[in-house]
Amino acid sequence: MSVGVLLMTHESMGAALVNAARHVLGRLPLPLDVQEIGANDDPEQRLRAAAASARELDHGDGVLVLSDIYGATPCNIAQRLPQLGVHMRCVSGLNLPMLLRVLNYPEQSLDELAQTAAHGGRGGIVVDHP
Amino acid sequence: MIEKDIVITNKLGLHARASAKLVQTLHGFQSSAFISCRGKEVNAKSIMGVMMLAAGLGVALKLRTEGPDEAAAMAALVDLFERKFDEGQ
Repeated sequence: MSVGVLLMTHESMGAALVNAARHVLGRLPLPLDVQEIGANDDPEQRLRAAAASARELDHGDGVLVLSDIYGATPCNIAQRLPQLGVHMRCVSGLNLPMLLRVLNYPEQSLDELAQTAAHGGRGGIVVDHP
Repeated sequence: MIEKDIVITNKLGLHARASAKLVQTLHGFQSSAFISCRGKEVNAKSIMGVMMLAAGLGVALKLRTEGPDEAAAMAALVDLFERKFDEGQ
């Protein structure tokens, strides 16, 4: 079982997070792609591109979409992917702890991995270091 | 169950790459593994758990392994610390 991971973010964010994850983990254990949405991009065209990417990532177990902020265009495009037949769960609020945690549980199912992502993202926020 | 006390000797401590290496090493074993530091215990197979210890150079840790291959898991864990995570310093 192997879920695909698709990062849908504003410009420069997704690739930077993947670079950081690669630096920490070395080889990435899940198929992964990044779709960064630019301010002047055509949403319809980017939706089609994201759907094509998601189809390539899906080896039968679905795609976990991680978007940087709920309600923004990258996330809004992601929410429309199921209309194009993409089997996915979307988790918003992407940060490096979320991505690292997802990549540490490559054997999980899509539903499990969505919960793992949310837990990792929340758990990675720490106020002060007493 | 096996327990062992250890002091971190690599310069960067349990930083992100070292934490990932530790977790990846333990994934090869069936046993559960835990690390305690300053009264806080985390699952040593969880990358965020290990990182949240924020344990640097000179910090004392208690390692614990529990399960069918606990001795081998502990040996691998101790070896990793003694090798300074292959970081050379």
